[in-house]
Formats: sequence, C-alpha cells, structure tokens
Amino acid sequence: MTRSRAATNPLAPLTYLRRNAGKTIPLTVVIVMAVMLVSGIISMINSIPLSIRTIYAYSQKFTGVTPRGDATRTQVILNEIKAKSPVAIDRVITCRTAGTVVQSIVGKWPFFILGLSPDDMTYYLRLQNATDIDGRLPKPGAAEAVVSEPVARNLRLKIGSNLLGPKLDDGFSPNNVKVVGIAKTDQWVMVVPIEYLRAYHFPPVDLGIVVAKNPAEQDRLDRWADKHFKGQRAAILAYFQIEKNTDEMFRTLYQILNVVIGTLVIVITFMMGMLINIYQSQRIVEFGLLQAIGYTKRQILYRVLTETAMVVVVGWLLGLLAAYGLLNVANATLMAPRAYAINPVDKVAYLYSLPLPVAILVVAAATITVRFKNFDPIGVVERRIV
Amino acid sequence: MLRAVHASLNYQDHGRDVFACRDISIDVQANEFVGILGPSGSGKSSLLYLLSGLKTPTAGDILYQGKSIPAMSDEDRSRLRIEEFGFVFQQPFLLGYLTALENISVIPRAGSPNEAHELLEQLGMGAKAHRFPHELSGGERQRVCVARALYGRPKIIFADEPTAALDHKNGVSTVNLLNRLRGEGSLVMVTHDPTMLDGADRVIRLADGEMTAPILGGHESAEPTRDI
Repeated sequence: MTRSRAATNPLAPLTYLRRNAGKTIPLTVVIVMAVMLVSGIISMINSIPLSIRTIYAYSQKFTGVTPRGDATRTQVILNEIKAKSPVAIDRVITCRTAGTVVQSIVGKWPFFILGLSPDDMTYYLRLQNATDIDGRLPKPGAAEAVVSEPVARNLRLKIGSNLLGPKLDDGFSPNNVKVVGIAKTDQWVMVVPIEYLRAYHFPPVDLGIVVAKNPAEQDRLDRWADKHFKGQRAAILAYFQIEKNTDEMFRTLYQILNVVIGTLVIVITFMMGMLINIYQSQRIVEFGLLQAIGYTKRQILYRVLTETAMVVVVGWLLGLLAAYGLLNVANATLMAPRAYAINPVDKVAYLYSLPLPVAILVVAAATITVRFKNFDPIGVVERRIV
Repeated sequence: MLRAVHASLNYQDHGRDVFACRDISIDVQANEFVGILGPSGSGKSSLLYLLSGLKTPTAGDILYQGKSIPAMSDEDRSRLRIEEFGFVFQQPFLLGYLTALENISVIPRAGSPNEAHELLEQLGMGAKAHRFPHELSGGERQRVCVARALYGRPKIIFADEPTAALDHKNGVSTVNLLNRLRGEGSLVMVTHDPTMLDGADRVIRLADGEMTAPILGGHESAEPTRDI
C-alpha cells in the first residue's frame, strides 16, 4: 500500500522521511530531547513558586491581622474592620499561632499552626474545604492537632505522630503535640486548641482572622485592609502579598533562566542546522537530478522545507508529549509523595520550548535556501559534484 | 522541431576564453535519431545541454518549435524539460529510497503507473519493478533510467553517454531499447563510441567544440555511422 501510494506521488515529503528513517529519527530524537529538556527545566523551576503559592493558598480564604507595638490592640483592629469593611463579613476569629516548617524541593518553609476554639476550628476546617476528618478533632486545651492531607504527606505524619514537641527543633513545644486527625482537603492546614497555645507558647498575642461573606470579595477586603492600616499599629497578612513577594523573589531567577534557555536554544539550533545541512548535502545528487529533469529550484526547495518542517513540528510535538510524560513520572515518584507542587501541564514551560522549532526551521530554511541559490545541476549530472 | 542557430558556449579559464561549443547550427527533426560523436572533451555533452536548455549559449540561439529556449525564464525552461523532454545521463542516477517503478513516476507527465509498469516490462524489468536501486545491477539501473526518460512519451529524448557506465553488451542493449521504445519521439544521443550509433538517422561529429564533418543527410543516409 505504501508503494502504490508513493507511486502516485513518489516525491511526497512523507515518503522520503519514512524511507530514510535512519536520518529522520536521529533528527527527530534530538528535537524531542531538546524540547523535553527545556520544558522539563522550566516546569521544575516553576514548581518552586507554585509550591509557595500552594502551601500558603490557605491564606486566600481570610485576611490575617496582627497588632504591632501593642499586644492588646487586636480587638480594636478587628472592631475597626467590622465597622468599616467595604465588604460583608462572615466571621471574625481571634486566634493564636505557633511556628513550624514544611518541606519543599528547595528546603524548609515557615508555616503557621493556628490555635482555635472548637467552634472556630470546625468553621476554619470547613473554610479550608475539609470534607471529612480521619480521626477526630482535638480536645479543648489538649496537646493535640489536626493536620490536612498535604501536610501529613509532606511531614510524613500519621495519627499519633508528634506535630510539635520538646525534641523537635523546627516545631518546638514543651509537650508532644500529637496528631489526632487528618483533614481531607488539598489546602495546607495545621490547627491546635487555642488554650494549648495560650498556655505554652510565646508571645502572648492574639491574632485575628477576618472572613468575607462572599469568597470572591476576600481579595478586595485584603487590599482594603492593607491600605487602610498602612502606617498604623497593625499588620495585614494577605495572599496577594505572598504572590507579590514570590514574583519579586523569582524575577532575577527567571532572568537568569531566560539567558540559559536562550543559550540552549542557540546551541541546539546551531547543532540542528549543521545536522540538517549535512543531511541535505548528502542529497545533492538527488537535487541535481531532479533539477536537470525539469523540477524548478522552487519546487525542490519547497519539498525540502516541507520535509524539514515536518521533522521539526513532529519532533516538537513528540517532545511536548515526552515532557508531559516525564513530568507526570516526576510528579508521581518524587513530588506527590511529599506533596510538592508541580504542574505537568504547565503552559509556560511548554511555550518556552516554542523558540526551538521556530529557530531550527528558520536556520534550516536559510542555509538550504543559500545552498540552492547557486546550485548547478549540470555539475551533478556530469559527476563534477557528487 | 529543435534548432541550434550558430550556438556557442564559452567560459573563462584563468583569464583565457575557452569554447566548449563554437558556432554550432543543427536541426533535429521529429522522430529523428541524431547522434553526436566525438572524443572526450570535444564539447558534445555541452552541446547536448545547450540543446536541452540545461545550459544557455553565450552566442547564437536554441529554438524549440520556433521559440527561443535561452529567452525563456528558468521556470519555463524547467517546465519545458519536464513536459517535453526526457533525459538519460552518463551515470544511472536514481533516487535510492524509491523503487524502480517510483523512480519512473517522478516525472509528472501524463503517464500512469500502468504505463510505467509496461515500460519496465518492455525493458525486461517487470519482475523488478518494486526493487530499490541498490537491489539492481548497473545495467538494470540504467534501464530504469531509460524507462524514466521514455515515460509520458516525451517529444525529444536527450541521452548523454548513456552507455558510459555499462559494458559493451549492456550498452548496445540499452541504446537499442531506447531507440525501439521512443515511439514518435526524437532521440539526441551523445557518445564517443561510434558502434552505439548504428541506428542513428544521422551523426554529428565534434572536435574541440566545433563540427568537423558535415551533417549527414538525415533519412537519406541509410547507414550514417559507417561514414564516420
């Protein structure tokens, strides 16, 4: 069937590519590897800010408030928010916090353990999309904690494990605080009874959590509070600040990354251009023969460029597919077990690989066109050029 | 049908003018077999390339059916070659990744796969139609080239030393097949071996780029090559 189809148009680009698999496959494989490399690197780098956003995504659900310079001002600040908020408030919670760390692919990140009353704890867990709890909620005042599934995976905690304790440098507490429940939610959550933190943790400062009635308006409340309390003895903790800080933190890294990827694209393009040129040089007799028997330079050029475009585009698409596979494997084996965030369908990572096929195609087209410009088929049929 | 009118082709070699062909005037009639005979370096291949539009004369003109070939655009010359002319070169140039049958079909003239297959049958290559060039002998490859030149019934077939890469027996066989199967088409063949031109209607002899013997009168010369 292949042969009869080729007999209809034996110079179809696909015929050449399929029957010269020894040349087509290495070219394609180099492009596949390059695309996979670029997309893989970018996706892994992107996983760092993605991890930060994922770990602290819980703070999207509320506006955090802490007093500055006067530990007694928490209620005053919360009352002012209740009175002047531009959006309807669903709940205002007074809480305490303790510090611990979570793991990421670039090391440890600080994390707040919230101390809440039983009612507030139930509300907070529901706010963080917890559908159920394996185990139970902590008893009031007990050295007990509930953590969410990602936290349990990340810190390798099970029911009965110690979240805080006297022997834990990163999560010190004078008593062992045991995990008694694991909340089923994708949000990162650690909660303990507020009485326990008030009794054993320093400093003795109440913090506030303000939840907008309409979740879509939480960001508006965040920005209003940030602006409203600027210069006052209050600090606002909001998700948009985390996003802003993350962007600033990674700006330089991405600039370096752009230079690295740009260099990589140039090197790979140069290499591919050379390879394509060598392969085309090996076809000089074919081009000479075709031109001698009556094919125009334009027809031959069009055919060669179509073949090149096919290899480059197929290589790129297979490279994206390979990158997707690789990232899924990395996610399943390395990232997900520790709840590290990575996006196997990271559009930015895949877009970063786009300059590769474009540059290879442009360089190949330019070099082939130049080669054809002064090509003399007589030299081939007279065996002066072989 | 095809005329060279005082056609010359010269080039510069280290500042010196060298004539590959000088002041050639010939006329190829329809259905005629014209042989161009001469030793190596006599300019016979250059004359063939001038006649077929592969080279442009530096003086004079080449007319095909009254139209100047050198005056045509590159595209028109290419179209003329692929639509009206057939070529057999010294070496059996075939595309290595195509079968014998497909190598013939690269000519997009009004031929059909059946015609290509029939040509191969007539050339004794029917059983090897689906073989690739590396699976064929030198003689077989040249026969595929002959079939390619004949495919689509071109008006003129240009053969440039088509027997150069073959032994004498295969060479004679190839020329005879080319002559027998060309139908209504003309054949212009270049060779240095006069025995290959036994079937020619007339023979042009070249030496140092110039015609050295008068054009033998076409069909009135029954055995033209014997006069050479």
